[in-house]
Amino acid sequence: MAGQLSGAVSTRSSSRRAATLRLLRRRLIQAVPLMLGVVVINFVLIHLAPGNFLDVMTAENQVSDPATVELLRRTYGLDDPTWLQLVKYVWALLHLDFGFSYRQNMPVLQAIWVGLPATLLLMLSSITLAFAVGVSAGVVASTKVRTLWDTVVSVAAMFFFAAPSFWLGIMMIVLFAVKLGWLPVGGMATIGGGGGLLDILHHLILPTLALGLFYAAIYARVMRASMLEVAQLDFVRTARAKGLSRTRVTLSHVLRNALLPVVTILGVQMGTILAGSVVIESVFSWPGIGSLLFDSVSSRNYPVVLGIMVLGSLVVIAANIAVDLVYMWLDPRIEIR
Amino acid sequence: MTAIPLEVRDLRTTLFTRRGEMKAVDGLSLSVGAGETVALVGESGCGKSLSALSIMRLLPDPPARIVGGEVKLNGQDIVPLDEEAMLDIRGKEIGMIFQDPMSALNPVVTIEKQIAEVVMAHSGLGRFQARARAHELLEQVGMPDAGRRLDAYPHQLSGGMCQRVVIAMAIACRPSVLIADEPTTALDVTVQAQVLALLKRLQAEAGMAMIFITHDLGVVAETADRVVVMYAGRKVEEAAVDDLFEEPLHPYTAGLIGATPVPGATRGDRLADIPGMVPALNALPGGCAFAPRCSRAMERCRREKPSLTVPVAGRLVACFAVAGEAA
Amino acid sequence: MERFAFLRRFTRNRGALIGALLILLVTVTALAAPLLFPTDPLRMVGPPELWPGEDPAFPLGTDSLGRDMLAMLVHGARATLLIGLFASAMATLIGVSVGAIAGYFGGWIDEAAMRAVELFQTIPNLIFVLTIVVILGSTLHNIVIAIGIVSWTPIARMTRAEFLALRDREFVQACRSMGMHAPGIIVREILPNALPPVIVLSSLVVASAILFESAVSFLGLGDPNVASWGRLVGDGRQLIRSSWYICAIPGIAIMVTVLCLNLIGDGLNDALNPKLRDR
Repeated sequence: MAGQLSGAVSTRSSSRRAATLRLLRRRLIQAVPLMLGVVVINFVLIHLAPGNFLDVMTAENQVSDPATVELLRRTYGLDDPTWLQLVKYVWALLHLDFGFSYRQNMPVLQAIWVGLPATLLLMLSSITLAFAVGVSAGVVASTKVRTLWDTVVSVAAMFFFAAPSFWLGIMMIVLFAVKLGWLPVGGMATIGGGGGLLDILHHLILPTLALGLFYAAIYARVMRASMLEVAQLDFVRTARAKGLSRTRVTLSHVLRNALLPVVTILGVQMGTILAGSVVIESVFSWPGIGSLLFDSVSSRNYPVVLGIMVLGSLVVIAANIAVDLVYMWLDPRIEIR
Repeated sequence: MTAIPLEVRDLRTTLFTRRGEMKAVDGLSLSVGAGETVALVGESGCGKSLSALSIMRLLPDPPARIVGGEVKLNGQDIVPLDEEAMLDIRGKEIGMIFQDPMSALNPVVTIEKQIAEVVMAHSGLGRFQARARAHELLEQVGMPDAGRRLDAYPHQLSGGMCQRVVIAMAIACRPSVLIADEPTTALDVTVQAQVLALLKRLQAEAGMAMIFITHDLGVVAETADRVVVMYAGRKVEEAAVDDLFEEPLHPYTAGLIGATPVPGATRGDRLADIPGMVPALNALPGGCAFAPRCSRAMERCRREKPSLTVPVAGRLVACFAVAGEAA
Repeated sequence: MERFAFLRRFTRNRGALIGALLILLVTVTALAAPLLFPTDPLRMVGPPELWPGEDPAFPLGTDSLGRDMLAMLVHGARATLLIGLFASAMATLIGVSVGAIAGYFGGWIDEAAMRAVELFQTIPNLIFVLTIVVILGSTLHNIVIAIGIVSWTPIARMTRAEFLALRDREFVQACRSMGMHAPGIIVREILPNALPPVIVLSSLVVASAILFESAVSFLGLGDPNVASWGRLVGDGRQLIRSSWYICAIPGIAIMVTVLCLNLIGDGLNDALNPKLRDR
């Protein structure tokens, strides 16, 4: 019996693994034209910018060394026709050559690489918070429809859905950092000393709330509607006819089906969340790519700005693939979408 | 003397809606003995499914609520029981089978888990024993290649196979009463016959009392011992199956039987013999609800509601025309 | 009659009604700004950092440069609403065009359009807006264009879905058999039927456009000649220790406006397509 059981389980998991690999491969192949699209949009933007390509890629005449200018001229083929310039631009990016940032005095890629982990940490913690809070609030509201709980969730969701995240962040700083002194005003670690895991988590709380509550509001609304919809389906009645309690039915039958639209939305919003974290970083002096972006934007350091756009898109694609895998795990009907 | 498995007396279920109260089940009485099959027939919207859900106490509340009557399960009235006590009855004492097997199963949970769930809820069995029991049940309901289906998801099975799974869940705890709500309606004709045969076999093996809800009188002739005909929430006729087909008394029953396609005839306009439609529950006529569609309706039918009479021993009918004939 | 029924359904939703009235109020004040506060709101008129209520002449206080908060708020409403409306109009124009063509013609055109939608969803939207603004220059109309460019995708998807559902209906086939050309069918036959849910979405895009604009201005990349609400929040952030109200007030204005627009969107959704509720 035991052998038979484990046999069945392993065939199931191996077929799932094959399906997962198929999905991964397909998504990676689809990512190529997507990235190409991002690069082309970048290229178009560079051409729209005042000044020529060379000015843009050298961050507005900050390069005066004629040898370097000559090198860039050759790399991007500035005397070539436009299409060839595009090809050379793509070629350079393929070799991870995003240009050189003279403000940081390092290659653009390296400058971005420094800030990326902090941004990803903020993104991840905000998504986790948004998902956990939003889903639980939606479940509570849907199981207690038209009660005080439901109203509280709806009103809170309405407010957090309307409040600009940067403003919410500032207001939380005023309350929790300045007035109450419970949490740090900004940064990622206490200056001098600090830097331990707990210290970082301590610094992470406010930025995570500021960024995550907006999405929590969205997920709470979607989750509530989705729970109510699924609760109407036939299989819920079947489960009740089996003698399972309301709570059991909600947790083991309704919840998992109701999560699907929330996961879909999460996938669509990855780009927005990344962009939002960049704003929150500015509010909390979080040392991610946000500060680099603003510095580059205000100094018209185009190569860095464009590099962040390309790498940001790459992060979004990767996050989307992760979301797809979660979706597939939740819904066995989807083999490959 | 052992108690009758299921005895329903004067059951009343009302829908409380914004547009007023609607009597969805209006004084239904019926009893089902061990090993007996009682068919509950009528057009859709006449209260059959709501009667079944009332017995299971699975009504959507609001708007539906049981306002009177009793449902005796092996002698015990379950209407006053609270939700907690009902959890021990649903799935254990009464099993239920639904119309559309594809949507009656959770699409994201494996077959095995869905069956094991009911087993574990009502017995002390652990995860692995429940799995073994699920396997056993699948074989009992004639699932081909049962061992391999355990880890399948509903979308990987055909409609007939899904219905076998639903049946397996319903009989998992050897209930004394089985309610089958249109169990074959959503299935292909050939599969219908297989599922009917399966139900009959399982019933005979366990001596279950079965309520069989359907609008298909062809199926009734094959499965039922007795038939209860419902119209607009009320029982209008009850008889042994042979008597009913031989001589339907109520004009509505006669219409239903006339409307049942003879084998070989084309399906389709099934109710050609009964003009009109089932009235909306909030717009019931004052007297007999069937009067507006009835060819034998008299002045009295539009004024008063006929109550059930016994024209012949062993039969019940609620119709003034029939009562007048007999007198 | 039909119109009255719509109005009745809309006003039955109390939230939507309140939202609509408040937005009306904000709009009227914004339009009347030059009459209410004829002088340049960015001029110093009193002592700096006056708290709200401290001096009746400045009911909402003054900022760090002694400028009247209320005057700035009222003038800022013009910029904020204007950008929100035009950006939403731009997004609707792009979204409806792309969605209609993709949904009507299907095939490779649809495939290409959906890939484009996916592409624009992949690029982190605000970073894209900042990039466009910084490359093209921080002017009002560049900001509108940039927000429009990142906001059209949901409208395109919705329009496409409506067109897919409508393009094979009898009335469309009748037009086709009468020899009507695709542009005529799209604009005159299908579009009017596809529009209600799109209108709902557009009203929500106004709200998100306002949030976008406020973020851009907050980061100091807005049009330097315009004091929109986002910029007021940004200007006040250096002073949160002493005068946090400078940040709080314009932020509340943004939140209330966005909240009202969302309520209106919900109300329109209920009134225009009762069947699509919760979608």
